[in-house]
Amino acid sequence: MTDRSFDATVGTSATPDERTGRGAGLLRPWLGRLPRNAGFWSAMPLSLLLLFGFFGPLVLVVLYSFMPRGSFSPIGWPTLENYRDIVEQNFYISFGWSLLMAIVAAVLLLLVAYPLAVAMVRLAGKKADIYTILIVAPLFVAENIRLQGWSLFFDKSGFLDGAMESLFGVGTGSLVGNIPIVIFGLVYVYLPFMLFPLILGLTNVPGDAREAASDLGATRFQVFRDIELPLAAPGVLIGTLLCFVLSLGAVSEAKFLGKGAVIPIVQDIDSAFTFGQNWPRGSALSVLLILIAAAAVVVVMRRVDIDRMFTRR
Amino acid sequence: MAILELRNVDKFFDDFVAVDRVSLSIEEGEFFTIVGPSGSGKTTMIRMLVGMDKPTNGQILLRGEAINDVPANLRPTCMVFQSLALFPHMTVGGNVEYSMKCKGVPKPERRRRALHFLSVAHLPESYYDKPVTQCSGGERQRVAIARALAFDPEILFFDEPLSAIDYRLRKVLERELKDIQRATGKTFVYITHSLEEAMVMSDRIAVMRKGRIAQIGTPNEIYRSPNSHFVSEFMGEVNSFKVRPEKAGSLVDVESGRAIIVEPDAAPAGFKAGVLVVRPEDMLMGRQIPAGAACILKGRIVNEYVLGSRVQYQVRSGESLYLVEKIRATEDAEGIGSDVEIGWRPGDARVFDEPLQ
Amino acid sequence: MSDIHPITRRLLWIFFAAACLLMYLPMLVTALASLSRSRFFIFPVSKYSWKWYEDTLSSLQIEQAAIISLIVAVMVAVISVALAFVGALAYARYDWKGRKSFQYLVMLPIFFPQAVLGLAVQLWLNTLGVPMSWHSTVFGQLVWIAPIATLVIAIQVFAYDPAFEDAARDLGATRWQAMRDITLPLLWPGIFSGFLFSLLLSWSNFPFAYYTSGADVTIPEWLHAKMIGGYTPMVPAVGTLSILVGAVMLCGGFAIAYAAKTIAARRRLATAAR
Repeated sequence: MTDRSFDATVGTSATPDERTGRGAGLLRPWLGRLPRNAGFWSAMPLSLLLLFGFFGPLVLVVLYSFMPRGSFSPIGWPTLENYRDIVEQNFYISFGWSLLMAIVAAVLLLLVAYPLAVAMVRLAGKKADIYTILIVAPLFVAENIRLQGWSLFFDKSGFLDGAMESLFGVGTGSLVGNIPIVIFGLVYVYLPFMLFPLILGLTNVPGDAREAASDLGATRFQVFRDIELPLAAPGVLIGTLLCFVLSLGAVSEAKFLGKGAVIPIVQDIDSAFTFGQNWPRGSALSVLLILIAAAAVVVVMRRVDIDRMFTRR
Repeated sequence: MAILELRNVDKFFDDFVAVDRVSLSIEEGEFFTIVGPSGSGKTTMIRMLVGMDKPTNGQILLRGEAINDVPANLRPTCMVFQSLALFPHMTVGGNVEYSMKCKGVPKPERRRRALHFLSVAHLPESYYDKPVTQCSGGERQRVAIARALAFDPEILFFDEPLSAIDYRLRKVLERELKDIQRATGKTFVYITHSLEEAMVMSDRIAVMRKGRIAQIGTPNEIYRSPNSHFVSEFMGEVNSFKVRPEKAGSLVDVESGRAIIVEPDAAPAGFKAGVLVVRPEDMLMGRQIPAGAACILKGRIVNEYVLGSRVQYQVRSGESLYLVEKIRATEDAEGIGSDVEIGWRPGDARVFDEPLQ
Repeated sequence: MSDIHPITRRLLWIFFAAACLLMYLPMLVTALASLSRSRFFIFPVSKYSWKWYEDTLSSLQIEQAAIISLIVAVMVAVISVALAFVGALAYARYDWKGRKSFQYLVMLPIFFPQAVLGLAVQLWLNTLGVPMSWHSTVFGQLVWIAPIATLVIAIQVFAYDPAFEDAARDLGATRWQAMRDITLPLLWPGIFSGFLFSLLLSWSNFPFAYYTSGADVTIPEWLHAKMIGGYTPMVPAVGTLSILVGAVMLCGGFAIAYAAKTIAARRRLATAAR
């Protein structure tokens, strides 16, 4: 990945363009200065967007979380009262449920998506791309439409209940409004987010490494445990992490399928900001949620080399 | 008894015949090489021998027992892959030990044996903890060999492992491989497209062509007495003449009509038409070549290639080009543009009974 | 043997087919519900009608939402592809000091609960005194979608051999010519997928629109409001239409990519023939 064409111009007074007098006309002086730090400058626009649109808001949320209750300005004498409120009131319940559901959903997603990724990578051959698109295309339909669809499917006198009733005379009644169905919703919504990294990870397992291992006497299980899983690990880790974090911050599933059976933490955050008009409390809750997510991200991302994940070797 | 035997083995991929009724037997402790151009079926052969493909018909016997349906991981044989297929997430030691780990050998014992095989494969013991991704091409090669040896296989298979290595290192590794084979006494079965490589290392060579075995023999036999035009051409560049019989002890060159003297038994009985082949190094060349040559062609040197201690000349005679190879000449050597006579002794030509195209 | 056992193979295919069916099932149910005449969805459907579609198509409010959604989607797609293309070069192509940090930086917004990020952006714009409208939605969505587009393009860049560009420079091309004649055409499929991805993600995005659009309403927002406020069969009707628009975008994208490929191949043939 070294970039010799750019390095070569460092330290010479004229770029090749200038010496030969050919080239990009008006753009030339600009291009002539660019190369020293091509990477830096190319990263600049996106970095600025993220600085302004991601870190700025984040810092602000942290600031607000230390403001007195109900204040609408991030400038003031800092206080810990919002965090104290959170500990004293029952917010640990929604935190607990969100965490639990996120963990269960991430594990289930891994179990569901792994065989699918294996099918894509090792069975589908040239058509793998088409099959992958087929299975992840629903990602492009608004979450709430799809969840509403499931609600119409599982609800009383919905699709399933009605079909069972008219076929067997026994309906299923309402299957929504409980926690398992919320987890089902999470698994459904985030499947593509697990599938993509897993496919990337499994693509990095060389077929002949697998063959070589079995030739050296490894059983199917040993090949899976010693070769496939470690080599696909970056994909597995990133996929699980992504799904855990996204499920932790999910709210629509509980709204449309849970129908109030469980209050996820993001719903608490949302109400603190909107109904409660208590921005500092919402901010403090957000900070705690972000900390949990960040801890997971840091633990996992330390073990992943992004370059290697994308480069097929 | 043969350690590995093939009986009428076929392999079809749909309508395509990759391996066609091959029978051969490999003896214990021998370095056996299967050589052929790409598409000759040699890779399919080795995949069947290792157990990664099943033959369509026929039998593969290991010490007299059919192993057609035994998968690779249950066979007491092992392969060094063309890509080497070293496990990139493990150290050198981890790779070498892997087969023992699968068998459940305890860690200290594994390590002890791994270190032994590292030294057998000409690697320092300090490499045990080195990640394979940090090894050079030649070192990776040796790790792959050590890993295969550590499996303690009855037979080691090699699928062109040296093809991606530069010439000089390849020469070193070829010799090392032969040494390792002698030192361990294992049976090595090697696949390559390079007859030169096969010559250096092998006890016996099987030349494959279009899914069939064209010839089996020691390197010397193959070199000295190729049994077909294909094998002799595969050995290296040759001068070929389309010939048909004229009278006893003489053939006629179909294209020029010139008579060519051959030894009385050179052409097989009932010979109708075929190819006469002379190696470049068997050619005679000079202002005037001595009497007793099989025939005399007058020509002019058009090109000259220096091959180290020898020189190869390209001589144009009429419409055709011929190759002549000589020890590097001294003073009065003919050069480009010289008019020369070329020919060969009747005993140096080989005649193959083959339909003319 | 490293091959997958035939029985496992069959099971995997069955599993895949089942997963595919499940992925689309709720959309099929939505489509079915939109065709039901009755006010509430009851299965089996007793009477079918197009009434809800007629209502939808004559609704000014929905028309307005659709227009806003489309504008936002196109703007987000165009801007994020521009940012993502240069970003992907920094991500995967150039060797520079801050590259590893940049790679993690780009991953962060993707690994972040969208609703929380949407709220944070709302808070931020509010504090800065920026009025909320679909303009701010474009900004909010960019924070999440541009990094995704960067990853999509980066996959293509990782597979791109910089030697091509070096070779072009060696043959006398300027940096700009090398970019235009070699790099861009070779990375084109990635750029196009990045555009399509951004377009579709923006079209279907709810959390950012919800928190940052102020009085402007996008289709997912309109749907959300009706779902919360009280079900009417217009919800599945609008939902189905929104799915169809997305499908048209996706298929249209593929058709364009396929056509471009065919035209390029034909042109090559024509040149070769000459």
